[in-house]
Amino acid sequence: MEVRTALTGPFPRSEALVAATRDLDRGRTTAEAVAALYDAAESEVARLEEQLGLDVRSGGYLDWADLFRPFSESWRGFTVGPVTRCFEPNTFSGHPTPPPPRDGVGGATAGRPPRPARAAPAPAKVTLPGPFTFAGLLDNRSGETREALTHRLGRLLSEEVRELGRAGYRTFQFQEPLLVTEAPEGPRAEAALAAYRPIAEAAAGATTVLWTFFGDAAAVAPLLARFPVDVVGIDLSETDPADVPGPIGRGGLGLGCIDPRTTLAEDPEAVARIARELGTRRPSGSLWLGAGAPLDLLPPGPAARKLELLPRARRLLASGGGPA
Amino acid sequence: MTALFPTQEIGSLAKPRWQLAAQRGDPLDAAARAEFESWNARCRFADPADPTVRALLEGRASEVGGAAARDLGALFALRYLEAAGLDRVYDGEARRIEMYEYPIRQMKGFEFLGHVRSFDNKYYLKAAANGEVRLDRPYHLEEFDFVRAHARAEPKLPITGPYTLADWSYNEYYLARQAGWKGREARRRAQREFVVEIARRAIRPTLAALIDRGCRVIQIDEPAAGTHPDEAAIVAEGFNAATEGLSANFSMHICFSDYASLLPALLEAKGCRQWTWEFANRDGPDHDGYAVLKLLKEYGDDREIGLGVLDVHRDELETPERVAERIGRAAKHLGDPSRIWVNPDCGLRTRSLEVAWKKLGAMVEGARLARARSEGRTA
Repeated sequence: MEVRTALTGPFPRSEALVAATRDLDRGRTTAEAVAALYDAAESEVARLEEQLGLDVRSGGYLDWADLFRPFSESWRGFTVGPVTRCFEPNTFSGHPTPPPPRDGVGGATAGRPPRPARAAPAPAKVTLPGPFTFAGLLDNRSGETREALTHRLGRLLSEEVRELGRAGYRTFQFQEPLLVTEAPEGPRAEAALAAYRPIAEAAAGATTVLWTFFGDAAAVAPLLARFPVDVVGIDLSETDPADVPGPIGRGGLGLGCIDPRTTLAEDPEAVARIARELGTRRPSGSLWLGAGAPLDLLPPGPAARKLELLPRARRLLASGGGPA
Repeated sequence: MTALFPTQEIGSLAKPRWQLAAQRGDPLDAAARAEFESWNARCRFADPADPTVRALLEGRASEVGGAAARDLGALFALRYLEAAGLDRVYDGEARRIEMYEYPIRQMKGFEFLGHVRSFDNKYYLKAAANGEVRLDRPYHLEEFDFVRAHARAEPKLPITGPYTLADWSYNEYYLARQAGWKGREARRRAQREFVVEIARRAIRPTLAALIDRGCRVIQIDEPAAGTHPDEAAIVAEGFNAATEGLSANFSMHICFSDYASLLPALLEAKGCRQWTWEFANRDGPDHDGYAVLKLLKEYGDDREIGLGVLDVHRDELETPERVAERIGRAAKHLGDPSRIWVNPDCGLRTRSLEVAWKKLGAMVEGARLARARSEGRTA
């Protein structure tokens, strides 16, 4: 069984970065000084990823205001609206608003991955918003239906993927919490699927990962099995493996086995057991281990400690150890 | 209150720069001094002959002290809201910095672990429950005493609710007691236990102490309620546990949430007399942000509504006509205008004092317009 390990979403900011970014907002430090701190902190995250032997690197995405902001700030015709509370405790996202014109331009993200990823794009993973979640969370004043907007965002994101591919990136992860919290059906579900077709074309030869979290993936397993992606990730804090009716996804399986909503450590043997159980329902492809939701719900210390689960669970799975 | 559409605030106001400077012991600069004098002309919150005020205005802020600066800030906010014409007021949360860390610091059984990001460069210090929740001492008491001693309008105290305190914490103690894999059901059971324990052991005794001191109107803030609609029943259970057997006029404030997704489970909060929700944020030419009120009618819920009519995320000013139209529309959805209180969507600290002042003025005037129309008079 090929097991791959990686971060899910941004790594938490250090207390030094917290202090520096607060100072920046209050005019007590310079953007250059904070940028230097970001670089140093991202290098720290890269070292941690190396120490833990994570297969796919991220660099932590420490300077992204939120998952959507690089796009809503860069794509022509989008504006950033007020922040809106969504999902987990006290987290918000800049509420993007897409009025006409509708022609996005690529290039929102090519220069935005963390510096360690830009230095070595091939082993790095680029984290992007999934088109379904993006369409569902923005303030749609475009006059389009939600379905049409989902489709449009799929096309815009495919342009990003194409450009990132030219820059050397080979792994793209799409964050799709809304797929499991909303569990779309009918035309809305079909629009979500359709949005991934241009993405799949743009990512030909690369690895695409669709990661769900904050909701029960078992309820939408048949839908997830239809997405044209290489790996589908599920949040084990929300999904009871016993409820999963069949294969999740048509390729690799991602297990969000670290719960960033608690500092309590997960049991690697339990993870290995769940991975085996679900592995029997996995038609092909690799097994990915990561966090069930973005790790920045934790402070950096507990986040780093909890990540130690990944190499331990992988060793157990590789050795055939742990409970069968 | 017999008149239709009385008005109230929700909680926080921006702190004036003179208060922040005074708290630090810094002399007021020209802008802070001008701000002080401008607001004093409008709200008459300070006597220039008062020794504290004189020290502040004469550049001797270091003699004022943090406590006196906060008192003056609280008095300013109180008079500001009263001068704006509101029927229910508080102190703009002038002594508070945030709504999570302070209450948790009044309890035992928690350990602060570090900062977690809310959005952009905004963070909060997040704690983990590492033991049974216990109240160290009831809180907000001195704050309420001050408001009660100075308020000319009816005071309404805001306090963070048990569900939000639990949801914004790491629930380690109660989660660790769940056997096996800490999946969805285990987390749900642990969350319920945690919420009810905070409600019974910390919030309820605090509310009881406040009521003993004369607090009659209490707003329990549950902004986290909307993030997990499937836990709305736990929100209600926590509310009931916090207020059980207590005699006060309790409301529940929830903002920036899909209220329909919380119904009908939330309606089990039997001790709640008023739902104080945000609506203006979602109201637009193509979308009736108040339509969810029809659901309350369908469920037969006849409690009061604290109707959010001011968008606290935009500087754009609502007109009195716009406010009156929103009130009229909400009254139509509810089928009963007498249940409506009028308020901003949420705390106005997101806006400058000048913008908030104009918004509140439009709100009070809009309520007057709506009242006149509802009573068949010409505005």
